[in-house]
Amino acid sequence: MAALDFALDLMRRLPPSNVEDNLAKLCDLVPDLIEDLLSSIDQPLKIAHDNETRRDYLLCDYNRDGDSYRSPWSNKYDPPLPDGAQPSQKLRTLEIQANEAFDIYRDLYFEGGVSSAYLWDLDSGFAGVVLIKKTQDQSKQGLPMKGTWDAIHVVEVEEKKPQSHYKLTSTVMLSIETATDQTGKVSLAGNLTRQVEGDAAAAKPQDHIANIGRLIEDMELKLRTTLELIYFGKTKDIVNQLRNATGTSITKTRDAQYAAIAGAVKK
Amino acid sequence: MGDAAVIVSEFLRDAPSGEFMEVVTDVRTLLGNDDLLNSVAPQSFREYNLDQMIVVDTPKGKALVSKFNEVAGGEYLDPANGQVFGFDHIKGTVSGSRAIGGELDGEIEPFRKALEGAAQAYRDEHYPNGGVGVFSSREGGQFVVTVALSSALFNPKNFWGGRWRSVWTIKFKPGGGNADVKGNLRIQVHYYEEGNVQLNTNTEKSKQVPVTDAASFAQAVFKTIAAVENDFHAALDKSYGTMGNTTFKALRRALPITRKKIEWDKITQYKIGGDLGGK
Repeated sequence: MAALDFALDLMRRLPPSNVEDNLAKLCDLVPDLIEDLLSSIDQPLKIAHDNETRRDYLLCDYNRDGDSYRSPWSNKYDPPLPDGAQPSQKLRTLEIQANEAFDIYRDLYFEGGVSSAYLWDLDSGFAGVVLIKKTQDQSKQGLPMKGTWDAIHVVEVEEKKPQSHYKLTSTVMLSIETATDQTGKVSLAGNLTRQVEGDAAAAKPQDHIANIGRLIEDMELKLRTTLELIYFGKTKDIVNQLRNATGTSITKTRDAQYAAIAGAVKK
Repeated sequence: MGDAAVIVSEFLRDAPSGEFMEVVTDVRTLLGNDDLLNSVAPQSFREYNLDQMIVVDTPKGKALVSKFNEVAGGEYLDPANGQVFGFDHIKGTVSGSRAIGGELDGEIEPFRKALEGAAQAYRDEHYPNGGVGVFSSREGGQFVVTVALSSALFNPKNFWGGRWRSVWTIKFKPGGGNADVKGNLRIQVHYYEEGNVQLNTNTEKSKQVPVTDAASFAQAVFKTIAAVENDFHAALDKSYGTMGNTTFKALRRALPITRKKIEWDKITQYKIGGDLGGK
């Protein structure tokens, strides 16, 4: 196992609510791994504002060059970087369409939040990342609950005929917290990662967006269902195994009663 | 290398319940400096075990290892089993046992013992996998009895684990008045199949219970503790419902308002804030 595998294992165990701090500590501890760490460990997405187009966009390693970030709306770097990395003209056209399409996707599913898509060229095709961030603060509605959904979808496209090949790796980071007198502080935080591959025909370049869109839509549906099961089902079940709210003597009496009824019914 | 020692200690401190050795392995490989690790290990291993309040098997039965029953130099008082046992934090093993010699406070003992009996009954009722320890001390002119409850389950094959810790501190003067009964409840749950999901809760509770004779007092204290913990447990269950049904749904819908998946070939026909056929 490479050093990076141990680092990833460690990050799968440390509290997900501290991912930024822990990543910084890891970089201090193993400076040789910094590049690998920054590109393989997901962190909650940061939002920046593009003053020219007056739109928000999301930051990640794929739109970063040095200390500057490229806005998907204006295609310009902030702070300005005249020689900053850019997608090719052809790819930029596709990138604009991707951002428009996923802006609509974001609106339909998230009814708010921020989305961004960044594409880059590969030898046999191209790759891209679709980012979505949504936060929710319900304290105004009298419910002391806050939540954040961060999605990072990285797709590799191998352009072929009759069908192109798509490889999608998706991570969703979800955190929900509450604090009341009765419960004290409660924090549910974490992330799940899944991968899927598929083939689909793309007669013209913008067909790739529909193909990628379907993959991402299906993937988020699966992840959402799994997150719901784990966060609000599994962790709650474990709490109820750590502590028996009813009381074992009552449970035993009940079990005995059920057994007696079952026995009587059989006769 | 001072920073590396601090970082290593903090990583070990933050290991989820039941995964300490896995975190040690990761840290050891990344650090590549066994001398440094060995220098922080004794303190880090001990502090982790004390904070977790691990439950260990001694020849005389299960016992807690916590800061409340630490005697000195790796020895832990276990009044329920009538012993003081040794524990090696690095090896994680019990090493020897001796009789109790003056570690119990005679004046407080009737109260401590009554509370211990009530605590064990409470543990049997609500924490079938848990361990409990009841220890006495003094603070100012007051008697202090500390109840430490630690209940953990580990299922690495199915990628989960967790621990519930309750520490109840009962401060009182014998012969009348009210006892201050303060509780700190902490729950941690970790689920890590193709991901990393953690529940963390932390809450403080405070009640008053009139001081009477040891036996009646012990029953009254645990009636109160049971009520407070049951209320908290029920409130947590209810919070789960709200988090899942309200907050989670408000973050991302299961389906768009059209109640159908997106027709991607027609995506440009959707309008922001409207639906297909848009207004």
